[in-house]
Amino acid sequence: MSVIELNHLTKHYGKSRGITDVNLAVEEGEIFGFIGPNGAGKSTTIRTLLGLIYPTSGSATVFGKSCTEHPKIRKELGYLPSEVFYYDNMRVIDLLKYSASFYKKDCTKRIRELAEVMDLDLKKRIDDLSFGNKKKVGIVQGLLHEPKLIILDEPTSGLDPLMQQKFFELIAEENRKGATVFFSSHILSEVQKMCSRVAFIKEGEIIKLEKMSTLQENSYKRISMEAAAAIRKADFNLTGVSNFEANGNAAKFIFKGNINTMMKALAAVELRNLSVEEPDLEEIFMHYYVKED
Amino acid sequence: MNIFWRELKAGRKGLIIWSVCMFLLIVSGMGKYTAYSSGGAGSEVFNQLPSPVKALMGIGSLDVTVMSGYYALLFLYVELTAAIHAVLLGSSIIAKEERDKTAEFLLAKPVSRTIIVTSKLLAALVNIAVLNLVTLFSSLVMVAAYNKGTDISAEIALFLFSMFIVQLIFLTFGALLSAWMRHPKSSGAAAAGVLIGSFVVSKITDLNERLAVLNVLSPFKYFSYNRIVAGGGLSLGILILAILLAAGMAALTYFFYGKRELTL
Repeated sequence: MSVIELNHLTKHYGKSRGITDVNLAVEEGEIFGFIGPNGAGKSTTIRTLLGLIYPTSGSATVFGKSCTEHPKIRKELGYLPSEVFYYDNMRVIDLLKYSASFYKKDCTKRIRELAEVMDLDLKKRIDDLSFGNKKKVGIVQGLLHEPKLIILDEPTSGLDPLMQQKFFELIAEENRKGATVFFSSHILSEVQKMCSRVAFIKEGEIIKLEKMSTLQENSYKRISMEAAAAIRKADFNLTGVSNFEANGNAAKFIFKGNINTMMKALAAVELRNLSVEEPDLEEIFMHYYVKED
Repeated sequence: MNIFWRELKAGRKGLIIWSVCMFLLIVSGMGKYTAYSSGGAGSEVFNQLPSPVKALMGIGSLDVTVMSGYYALLFLYVELTAAIHAVLLGSSIIAKEERDKTAEFLLAKPVSRTIIVTSKLLAALVNIAVLNLVTLFSSLVMVAAYNKGTDISAEIALFLFSMFIVQLIFLTFGALLSAWMRHPKSSGAAAAGVLIGSFVVSKITDLNERLAVLNVLSPFKYFSYNRIVAGGGLSLGILILAILLAAGMAALTYFFYGKRELTL
């Protein structure tokens, strides 16, 4: 049984597009990345999964059960929304205690631990907090009951780099203890660091689902060069070349395919400099999106 | 239960303000009783008013120069106040999670929507009961302070009991609107609008007997205050129908909230 299963999940808001025919299975213990630009349907997918909104068709289950039919299954689940809003006239500690009261276990110690790691002042009133600090409240709130499944919707927006680092350590630690993590983001580098698999969503549809390792090993190369003479695009008109950018004597592009073919093409050019690198996920990602436009 | 306590705590300040206002309304209202009851020229003026004017002032056929009649007149405004409180409370207690964008917090917790609605309605019920009791005790104390005639405590208790039913109707109506309407922010205004509408209907039917059938649209007219003043008590049939109406609206609140697409 997968921890999260989405089967032909479709959600339309009136006539406007939500998500269409999304199929996903997240296995126990993995960190799953869910990548797409703003408005692609990431939050819609998560909210349908949580039972905040109802699917138009298809199904979404957590630990084999639908959140709408079995709301209790949500006790195994910690959720950090992309935008955190809380009851304003509460102190941080009151909110966290209120949150803990839904899980029927003593979370006091865990609240203290998490607040210390995230450097969060428990006595402050929530309306006095900055956006980043509210986000921290959200993180503590999502983790305080040690859920088996952690769902994070754009978790790092608003956090400074140091806090992001601490946050990722926290998530990695939870994952080591056995928690499954579902992580949506439009920032690819952060997903790249953590996830074992990643799904790309665009305009409400999953366009690619891949293991992180395959994605990086899939012989995508970023080739940059400088030649003695001006480089023409025609010289590298091979299948597998994309994102070609020429600038006088310099050029760079992404290549996917047999590296020998590329070497032959390169040998035909009088080079001054050459580098062949692993592209980062961002470039592969842009590659997916740009291609279809 | 945690949602119930949370709602009680969140509504505490508002309830105190409403209770104080209600107390002041009764204090200031009873303060004018001497002017009505002093006899002589004052009472003559009331008797000679044309009946449409009397109807609009809420006097109707009541004898406002005696305490029971005067209290019935004052009660009209007391009940209107309590109804406004109930309808706003009912609509906001359901709508506020979406309005304040806390729905994504609460609805991701391991609780069903049925439990959420139950906790919220129970908390609201406690609120209207408290306001009702504050009204009851303020009325008993203030009426006792001014009354020189027969004791009307039993009538007051009946008035307040009928008010509780009217509060229940408006509370569940407000909750129903919030569960049913797409935009949580507009439900409060819509609920208040309907309430004012039903109050206007009660005035219109006061003016024109032939429109009495419209009274069904106005919970303010469900219980006859002339009948209470005359010692006739409340009509059991109407009481049962009114409670069924509130129960029906509560059931529809569960139904619509269960199916609701949250606006996030």
